[in-house]
Amino acid sequence: MKPVRLAASLGAAFVLSATVSTIALAQAPVCSAPVKVLAQPRDGLTLLEDSKAEFEKLSGAGFKIDYLNENDRRAKSRADASTVGNYNVYYVDEANVALFASSKWIVPLTDYYPADYDYADFDPGRQKVATYDGKVWFAPLTGGGDLMVYRKDVLEAAGIQPPKTLDELIADVPKLTNADKGMYGIALRGARGSGANVWRWMPFFKAYGGKWFDGDKPAFNSDAAVKATETYLKLFKDSAPGTQTGSWDESTGAFLSGQVAILVESTPLSGMAVDPKTSQVVGKIGFLPPPSPLPGGGYGHGLAIAAKANADDASKKCAGLFIAWATSKENEKRRLDAHQFGELNRTSILSSKEFADIYGADLGQALAETGKVTAVNFWQDPRWPDLGDRWGIILEELIAGTRTDVKGSLNELEAYANELVKK
Amino acid sequence: MPRRSSLPVTFVVPTLVILLTLSMVPTLYAIIIALQNRELSSTTYSWVWFSNFVDLFSDRRFLNAVWVSVKWEIVTVVATMVVAVGLGVLMFEVAGPRLRNLYCLLFIIPVLLPRVSAAFVWKFAYHPLYGIATYPYRLLTGGLIFDPLSKPSTALFAVASVDVWQWGLFFGVIVLKLLETLPPQPIEAARLDHAKRWQIHAYVTLPMLKAPLVSLMFVKMIESLRSFDLIYVMTRGGPGVATETLDMYAFSQGFIESGKVSYASAMAVLMMIATVITFTMLWKRVQA
Repeated sequence: MKPVRLAASLGAAFVLSATVSTIALAQAPVCSAPVKVLAQPRDGLTLLEDSKAEFEKLSGAGFKIDYLNENDRRAKSRADASTVGNYNVYYVDEANVALFASSKWIVPLTDYYPADYDYADFDPGRQKVATYDGKVWFAPLTGGGDLMVYRKDVLEAAGIQPPKTLDELIADVPKLTNADKGMYGIALRGARGSGANVWRWMPFFKAYGGKWFDGDKPAFNSDAAVKATETYLKLFKDSAPGTQTGSWDESTGAFLSGQVAILVESTPLSGMAVDPKTSQVVGKIGFLPPPSPLPGGGYGHGLAIAAKANADDASKKCAGLFIAWATSKENEKRRLDAHQFGELNRTSILSSKEFADIYGADLGQALAETGKVTAVNFWQDPRWPDLGDRWGIILEELIAGTRTDVKGSLNELEAYANELVKK
Repeated sequence: MPRRSSLPVTFVVPTLVILLTLSMVPTLYAIIIALQNRELSSTTYSWVWFSNFVDLFSDRRFLNAVWVSVKWEIVTVVATMVVAVGLGVLMFEVAGPRLRNLYCLLFIIPVLLPRVSAAFVWKFAYHPLYGIATYPYRLLTGGLIFDPLSKPSTALFAVASVDVWQWGLFFGVIVLKLLETLPPQPIEAARLDHAKRWQIHAYVTLPMLKAPLVSLMFVKMIESLRSFDLIYVMTRGGPGVATETLDMYAFSQGFIESGKVSYASAMAVLMMIATVITFTMLWKRVQA
């Protein structure tokens, strides 16, 4: 064989083998094993399970989601992430993202989130909550702020205008309570937890000018904290039965079953309130931003890539693909079609004509207005769950009446905060 | 001199080694962790020796948890035994053989329910507005609200009632079966002496059943120490800390609130020591 022909043959063989390898690589499945997810129950995730075959086709493997309720999910994911690392994807939230990120239990999401899935399309507020220390850690499954949802019929019968200020709310709530007829002025959260009773208490703390720190020193026992706590306890006298040791489920359940006149809660409530499948008060309700100066509690829950279970880059890419697919525009459109209001996070969906057709212009306007007063109320720090849960227990004791000294309770919290800060 | 067989050693030693490994390894590990300052969020730790134990005694929630655990133990064990003996004697006295079998079947069902399921069922039953257990109160008072799980004074008893519902009825069946195994002569003799029914049981049958009843009581005491799932589902230790037992508080410190696994282990070690001492003393006292 002549040298030129030999070189040409070798060259052709190299090009052919490189092409074949590229094609093989391009067609190689991204995932080699099913993605294990630890989450809390969400309608959107349940719906996602119907499209399992689609993900298998896309990635080459399926997925398995284990569900635990919010507090249990937090406890289990923390234990799993810090020890054995069984799960590839964790459901995280605004309260523990700082802890998970700073402990290196999760990895920055955007490094493994395929660009085609358009992360920038998510609601900016939710992107902000998913960001810690300058990096994005999760893709939102739910989020938003607070809305005041009220019963038009009950307020009209009592001759009361929907409260626009906190003072009006405090004055109106007792007038709206009629326990004999099973009607209560408000529903709050009493159950312990940084994401439970403390979550509802924080807007009052911020409304009265409360700050977590005065310079470098914790300032948890300020006059604002005392006033916020006293107001919360006062309002609790008119809170629906079952909420004293309840949280989101109990307070929204009481409203949706027609026992509560005014509820200031996270935005998914509004979607549930207009859905005849979940609400007995459809057609009787109005929406407004929280009474001024109550800020809305900005929050976001989503999926993050676990560090321990995804030891190599391929596993991280697989987890990233699952998260991208689960939160994709296509899947969000499916949630919109299924009227899952609380599961919508993308601006392209929230501003779509289909959204306006389903939920009406009033709700859209209230959401836009409440966006202006939505704020991050909690202390964005890995130590927040520890501190928030500690305050949650003390606040639950105050609500239950086994403690009565508000100032003393806050002093105790501040002493604990000082210990945490020293660490 | 007969040659000693190695067969017992062959059978016993491997089993003992497995049992010792299974029980001692986690126990020793818990003791070691309790002497350190490990936290879930940190990979670094150091030896703090008895510092966690010292801190526990100035922790008001720990002291409260000790008191709640003692109350829980007393309430559930005493109520279970009273219900079991009362029910067993009642069935023995008033029901015929067929009816007894039916009652036995019915009374065993609650204990067959998984604890978590039972807890959810009763949590809903105690709901102040919809609960079937609170319905009679609403009916009698014209709609007044009674929320037993939200009141610090009633929450522990409301949860304990579920425990007694499961175990008291089951133990009632066991007491009935024990009564049926007794020889009839002493009972007939007492009847001939014109003893009343309660006197027969108080002075004849129950004293004859002292040993098995004591055993039942010990079983219940151990079982009551493991009521974490029931309390966790129904109240999570609340309202406030009214139903926060030692295991609830240890779990809360280790995995819910602060991730202080060493502090939680110190509690577990103290619980283990207290349980061993208490049970040994009680056992010796009963046998004396």
